Amino acid sequence: MFNFKRPRHKLHISDENDLRLSDLKPGEKGRIIEIGGSENFRHRLIEMGLTRDAEIWVDKYAPLRDPMELIVKGYHLSLRGMDAQKIAVERIA
Amino acid sequence: MNFNIAIAGNPNCGKTTIFNALTGAKQRVGNWPGVTVEKKSGHYNHADIKFDVIDLPGTYSLAAFSAEETVVRQYLENDEADVVVNIIDASNLERNLFLTTQLIELGKPLVLVLNMMDMAHEKGLQIDVDTLATLLGAPVVPVVGRTGEGIDLLKEKILRVSTEISMKARSIDISYPRDIEIEIEKLHQLIQENDVNDKHSRWTSIKLLESDKQSRDEVRLHNNGTDILGQAKVSIDKIEGLFKDTGRAVISLARYGFIQGALRECVVESLVDSVDYSRQIDRVLTNRWLGLPIFGLFMWLMFKLTYDIGSIPMDWIDTGLVALMNFISDLLPDSMFASLLVDGVIGGVGAIAVFLPNIFILFSIIAVLEDSGYMARVAFIMDRVMHNIGLHGKAFIPMIMGFGCNVPAIMGTRILESRRDRILTVLINPFMSCSARLPVYVLVAGAFFPENAATVIFSMYILGIIAAIGSGKLFSRTILKGMSKPFVLELPPYQRPTLRSLILHTWERGYLFIQKMGTVILVGSVIIWVLGYFPTEVELDRDYGVERTTLTQHYDSGLMDLESKFKKSVEKDRSGYHSEMIAYESSSSYLELHEQLELLKDELSSEKSKQLYNLRQQEIGDITEQKWIGRVGKIFEPIVRPLGFTWRESVALITGFVAKEIVVSTYGVLFGVGEDVDEGSRGVISGLRSSGMTPLVALSFLVFTLLYTPCLATVAAIKRETGTWAYTLFSIAYSLGLAYSLAFAVTYFGRMFNWLS
Ligand SMILES: Nc1nc2c(ncn2[C@@H]2O[C@H](COP(=O)(O)OP(=O)(O)O)[C@@H](O)[C@H]2O)c(=O)[nH]1
Repeated sequence: MFNFKRPRHKLHISDENDLRLSDLKPGEKGRIIEIGGSENFRHRLIEMGLTRDAEIWVDKYAPLRDPMELIVKGYHLSLRGMDAQKIAVERIA
Repeated sequence: MNFNIAIAGNPNCGKTTIFNALTGAKQRVGNWPGVTVEKKSGHYNHADIKFDVIDLPGTYSLAAFSAEETVVRQYLENDEADVVVNIIDASNLERNLFLTTQLIELGKPLVLVLNMMDMAHEKGLQIDVDTLATLLGAPVVPVVGRTGEGIDLLKEKILRVSTEISMKARSIDISYPRDIEIEIEKLHQLIQENDVNDKHSRWTSIKLLESDKQSRDEVRLHNNGTDILGQAKVSIDKIEGLFKDTGRAVISLARYGFIQGALRECVVESLVDSVDYSRQIDRVLTNRWLGLPIFGLFMWLMFKLTYDIGSIPMDWIDTGLVALMNFISDLLPDSMFASLLVDGVIGGVGAIAVFLPNIFILFSIIAVLEDSGYMARVAFIMDRVMHNIGLHGKAFIPMIMGFGCNVPAIMGTRILESRRDRILTVLINPFMSCSARLPVYVLVAGAFFPENAATVIFSMYILGIIAAIGSGKLFSRTILKGMSKPFVLELPPYQRPTLRSLILHTWERGYLFIQKMGTVILVGSVIIWVLGYFPTEVELDRDYGVERTTLTQHYDSGLMDLESKFKKSVEKDRSGYHSEMIAYESSSSYLELHEQLELLKDELSSEKSKQLYNLRQQEIGDITEQKWIGRVGKIFEPIVRPLGFTWRESVALITGFVAKEIVVSTYGVLFGVGEDVDEGSRGVISGLRSSGMTPLVALSFLVFTLLYTPCLATVAAIKRETGTWAYTLFSIAYSLGLAYSLAFAVTYFGRMFNWLS
């Protein structure tokens, strides 16, 4: 039978200095470059509209600092910091 | 003639609201076979045709990720539905249409419903409905589910799509970038040649490119499955080479591309800056500093309302039940049947019935929290805490509810989306000390730790929380490992809850409670009654009648003695009394003597009633020991002896399995103070003390009571929510094991260090 093993599409950004979603402060805006993490996680986010090039607005952090609240495609979404860390973004004005 | 209609859509898009608007209150709630995903069905008539409606679980996609998605996908692929009604939140079009693209590809006759049109207007969105219908190849009906606006038109459209062939054929293809289309076409042709699954061959081709497991498994079974899968692999490699991403991500991205293209053509966003009211509200409710205190306040209010308001009808029910019991006792001769009815059925079921008001109030508050959208914020605020035990923030709600009653709390785990989270929350919930355990704490702690009762009781609550957290951590690292899903939580806009949906929600859950728990409790109470009633004739070693007579005679003669002694003293005293001014009977010395007499008499009669009472206690204890229930207690005595428990504790704990508060009344029976003991009852306290229980054993008994399976109703709820006996039995075994081990530890180490002996 066929083995559907495919090359892992890791986050292309290996550079530790790259900006992640979790680095953005409340009120800042970013554009998604790449989503890492497990296949399921990536696809779930993509299906929820966090596609490459989508714009994300960090609205706030929860009272206990985690998770964070985002606005994407006009709706509010909450992600944990550890998951937001897997999303590479560029800051936009 | 009838048609099957399936309602599909994202979570929070208003599916339930539309379902209710279509079907009215004529609905049934059940579970999908094999999984605990709620299945809601109902029906309505339109133009003399019956439409059976199924409300599918809310999903963002058809990827078969979660139990919900699998259910939806299987239902739709199995061709059970004649028409699919896709509810779309018009104020959140882009993301909602993602599911729509997949529904279009599935190729079912489709009706698209643009719900929440009011919110879309508020947001300043102008939607060109006709263009959207053309672009998506399906009729589009704008509605406002809350007010029912547009529902009639929707019924009309559903009718037309169901009955008119021309309406069905109008489906379009979602177009993908050329490079992907080529690969889709290759697969499509290959599948059609092999006549596999011809109805949704394009759908299957796309799913194969997404490496979808379910589709691959299906295709593999067919004649030329190997060839098709081979082609799929080649195609995927090609796409991945071209787009530098997985096939699935590329396709999802392309779907969003299609959606964005469509929206550019039919949505105009007016430039007026609309106000995001929800955001304004959240400035306060999930505020960095205010968020937690406000949440705390809401929780406190929830409890306060549940118990304070609930206690009023609770008293009525209680009074009513007592009246009913008295009425039946008066009506029926003293017989086995009367006892079964009064003590077994009414007593047992009544013990749960008094909680009904609490449960209904709690459910309606939860419904408000859910319908308003605050529940999602609770998850947001508490996620950090719950994440520690490997749970989703929302799981905090059922945990807190557990302090009230584990049954609604366990039923409340339905608010959690993942099955693994639900099971984990269900398994640790019984450790949250429910209100039924409080009477036991008050009784035992009051008897043995009168000075520190509050501290002891409080530590029980804390121990329960620790047990829940510890078990949660343990389970999420062992039996429920790795099934956790990433936390991706939508925070829907706040909504004013409608009365109709509140009533429906509350009634739905409340009715389940009455139905399921009622039967279990009924059976359980009758069993306990049977155990306590038979055998009707018992042989006692001592003749209590004779002993009672002897005792009474002893004290009566003591009283007579006193009287005669008094008379003698008076005679003597009178002979030495000379005053003419005051009658002897009024003299101080006489009064003094008389007072002494009264004092001694009082002492004696209280001594008498105490002795008689003790005798009665021993008798009832002896009788109970001979009944089946006592024998059962005896059987278990060796097992609980290491904990320092006697057969009495073992009986109390066994009956407590029906409901924890029964432990108190069982002790009442065992020590013969009658049924109606309350936790302050002196008789039980002195009985407990005189039974040889030490404070240490009492503590160990409390620990056991806290931790072992709360009650039959909880077991029934666990079975219902986990859907399997395996988890139910595991929960019972685990909590018994934990209760035993910790109680043993208390007794063992306590004895070793001579604490509280
Ligand atoms: N403003 C507005 N709110 C709606 C409309 N339809 C439903 N809602 C509200 O949206 C919330 C979610 O609806 P519900 O039917 O429970 O969504 P479901 O999760 O898809 O079943 C509820 O508070 C409804 O009252 C509508 O047309 N307009």
